[in-house]
Amino acid sequence: METAISAVVVIAYVVLLTFVALRARTSHDFEDFSIANRSLPLALVFGCLAATYVGPGFTIGFVGKGYNSGFLFVGIALAYAIQNIFVGLVVAPKLRALNNCYTLGDAIGQKYGKNCQVIAGIISVGLCAGFSAVMAKAGGDIINNIFNLPREYSWLSVAIIVVFTALYTTFGGLRASVITDAFQFASFAIFLPVTLLLTFYFHLHGDMSIFYNQAYEATAEGIKSTSFIKIIGLVTAFLLGETLIPPYANMTLASKTTSISRNGFVLAGIFSIFWFTVMVSLGIMARSIIPEDTLEDHELYKLVEIVMPHSGYALLLVVLISVVMSSLDSLLNAGAVCFTQDIVKSFVPLKNGTALNIGRVTTVVIAIVAAVCALFVQNIINGLLTCYAVWTPAILPALIIGLWIKKPKPLAGILSMSVGSAVSVTLWIIFIFILKQSVDLSLPSVIIPGLAFSILAYFIGHLWKTSKSGA
Amino acid sequence: MEVLVFIIVGFGSLVAIGCGIWVAIALGSAISTGRKENMPEEPESDS
Repeated sequence: METAISAVVVIAYVVLLTFVALRARTSHDFEDFSIANRSLPLALVFGCLAATYVGPGFTIGFVGKGYNSGFLFVGIALAYAIQNIFVGLVVAPKLRALNNCYTLGDAIGQKYGKNCQVIAGIISVGLCAGFSAVMAKAGGDIINNIFNLPREYSWLSVAIIVVFTALYTTFGGLRASVITDAFQFASFAIFLPVTLLLTFYFHLHGDMSIFYNQAYEATAEGIKSTSFIKIIGLVTAFLLGETLIPPYANMTLASKTTSISRNGFVLAGIFSIFWFTVMVSLGIMARSIIPEDTLEDHELYKLVEIVMPHSGYALLLVVLISVVMSSLDSLLNAGAVCFTQDIVKSFVPLKNGTALNIGRVTTVVIAIVAAVCALFVQNIINGLLTCYAVWTPAILPALIIGLWIKKPKPLAGILSMSVGSAVSVTLWIIFIFILKQSVDLSLPSVIIPGLAFSILAYFIGHLWKTSKSGA
Repeated sequence: MEVLVFIIVGFGSLVAIGCGIWVAIALGSAISTGRKENMPEEPESDS
């Protein structure tokens, strides 16, 4: 009987999600596919931004961190909220105000020329494919857990999640991604906090002292076991790693007005503080409920399995799949749009219909690449940190400086992006593969020098061109 | 201190649930009243 109720709950959720995806309708032109005709209202911009950044790292990963380090991680992750609010107040309105801009690469292209747009496009597509692989792996793990599949069937679980997500993203483009993201956001933003409140009420019997003692103990353990350099590394990652990655940039450009673009980011930043608090609190509560030897990535599953009825457990597992799909669909769409707009269109002028078809085919190709690479991603958070390390030095200095100065020089943009990418990739290889350091310890050693060299290269290029044109 | 921690966690949960409900209402509105009302074709900018 319990299994039947669980099956009904899962089927009902999938049917509802499919209905929502179908209501988004098929995109008929590239502008609709890439930026939803610049027509998104605030609630959808906010919901989609939050749904995209709340991936497995910010749910499963944060519950594990709460279990081991208590509220320490909420303090560290405040850097993420600050970053979002900064982008909302300073960068997003300027980006949205650009005309005929479909991608971040477009913005860079308008400032520095086609060569820079192609470099930005290549980096964006690579990043989206890398992030997609991490998401596909996480989604596969969740399906494995739902059906208790052995490890050798991981490829099947990954294929299920990637095929379903790619299907609606390929036809509906950004509009389908936004509509389904809003549905998925509403699902997990309601169910996971409700789980926290139910756990507190039924399992801790509303006893504040049990939770407080566990929180105190875990936070003290976390502070004791986390070195200062590791904290700096994590703060750096949260502050800089995910700043304006392609799916977020697309949301900026798809907003109805510049004020919606600004407010969407600010609200998403504020929401992240509450979200981290809820996830970490779930991890703290799990300490007095689940077995001590539970693996870090499985603590949320175990907690939900123990505290919820069978059907509730099934529903929450489906909600966790939503967490993954809402990030994966945005990444697939952003990767496809960047490839079409920044790379293909830079070499060949495309008609609207052709651009739309290339965007669709690229969505499928990135999905296949992500599914294959997913089988080689070992740990969710480490996979995300690897992607963070390259993005910031490669793109951000050229983009942000270019948005603010009057006459940016193409050479400055090319040098900044090339040097930033080269330095961060080289340092990453040295620290991870030669010195065998852990990913989170290596992060500041990669991002900070990469960023410094990128900014330095930018100003060398800028001054070189200025002195040449002045001579 | 215990009460403070409880208030922070409880408030955080309620805010998250509230945001979920807000987005759900906006989504329902976008789906039920049709694309034209919630997602106009013409782009506009207040800048």
